[in-house]
Amino acid sequence: MSPSFASAEQCQETSGFLFSHPCERGATTQCMRCQKAICLLHMRTLDGEETVCVTCARAADNGDENRDPSDTSDYDEDDPSYYYEDYGYYGRDAWRGSGSSSSGSDPNDFTEADGESVRREDDASFEEDLGGS
Amino acid sequence: MAARRRHWRLYALGGGLGHLTRAAALARAAVARGHAVDLLTNSPFAPGLPLESWLGPGATVHRVDARLDKAATVAAVGAWLAESTPDVLVVDTFPRGLAGELVALLPTVRAPRVLVHRDLNPVYVERFDVARAVDAFDLLVVPGEDAPFMHHPRAVRTAPWLLLDADACLSQVEARRRLGLDDGDSRPLVAVMGCGRPEEVAEAGETVARLRASLTPHAEVLWLVPTPHEGGLTVWPALEVLRGVDVLVGAGGYNTVQEARATGTPLVAWARPRLYDRQALRLKAAERVEDAAELEAKVSSLLLHQAGPPRPSTWVNGVHAAVEAIERVAR
Repeated sequence: MSPSFASAEQCQETSGFLFSHPCERGATTQCMRCQKAICLLHMRTLDGEETVCVTCARAADNGDENRDPSDTSDYDEDDPSYYYEDYGYYGRDAWRGSGSSSSGSDPNDFTEADGESVRREDDASFEEDLGGS
Repeated sequence: MAARRRHWRLYALGGGLGHLTRAAALARAAVARGHAVDLLTNSPFAPGLPLESWLGPGATVHRVDARLDKAATVAAVGAWLAESTPDVLVVDTFPRGLAGELVALLPTVRAPRVLVHRDLNPVYVERFDVARAVDAFDLLVVPGEDAPFMHHPRAVRTAPWLLLDADACLSQVEARRRLGLDDGDSRPLVAVMGCGRPEEVAEAGETVARLRASLTPHAEVLWLVPTPHEGGLTVWPALEVLRGVDVLVGAGGYNTVQEARATGTPLVAWARPRLYDRQALRLKAAERVEDAAELEAKVSSLLLHQAGPPRPSTWVNGVHAAVEAIERVAR
């Protein structure tokens, strides 16, 4: 059973990869691996019993469970995202232009309206549900 | 000036009607320029649409059964790509292919590749390394909406793509006739679009019943469907009659929204959940509704305040610029 939060503590997970920013939702539970407070949107369940944050879930997916979730040092020029940072609204400019990283003013960033699609990532439906587009 | 005739292959897999509609707009414009176009679709609506006659001679439509599973769909794509080598391959929306199959198949296609680049769920972009897939294309055409890699060095942005130019659409009087209203009938017309997923088509029918209950006899409410459906009026493409529609009710998909904006048709829409498309980002707050009661209220309000700005008599259709850009990279 994962610990739950009755407090108004904020989710400590981040949204976005190329220009990540703190999630602004209230935390409802805690990652059982890194102890980070997380909201429902950023909660994942491993093997049906372990409640973890998205970062730890991703590390587990990659078979890299020992990796420090905060370590981004391997993002180098071999990573396509390195080259694409300025190519679209994932770009560095968009990130800079949004002011405070938690302002939520970037119209192309995750919003509450993305909730449905974000929830669908749990379905592992990408490239599997051929009628889902 | 007419372009040299080229052989285009247009990959437009994807559920609903949206991918097919956008691809049909491009295919029709390309055929009008003299090109031969093979269009691949697995839209569940494709079997019921008169695509060949509408696209014109020079167009071939390959309909993949929407009910096929992933393996069978991938096999159908592979067979289609192996049929012949085109002068250009155009892929709508999914640089990796709908099932991820293009990652392996694209290297076998010895032709310039063009991606119709649109918004995609950022989670998908991140998890499936879409950046790398995008880089396999010679040209990215961005059809009027922001997209993740719209500033890519090989990206070209156009106005939104529409199935018809302004001069190919019916006038208000002609459109109302086409929709079954008598010339002496001055009631405003509300059209509810019935497309998307099968359950959404059925829901549109329920919306029509609810609106009729509250608006009759002050307004006519029609249920427009692209292919025959009990209780619906079959109209395709709906853009042809939009000048006769006073309020359009639908979802926030690319085509519905862009057609409403181009024709100045007031829109009331649901933001439907989609795996890749983010309809809520496309809709304005004034257009978007959350529930049936809000929808009814917005439609009623729009009917009461019909004296809005004059509706545009023409619009820029981005498919023409897109065809010219694609011609420049075709062999």
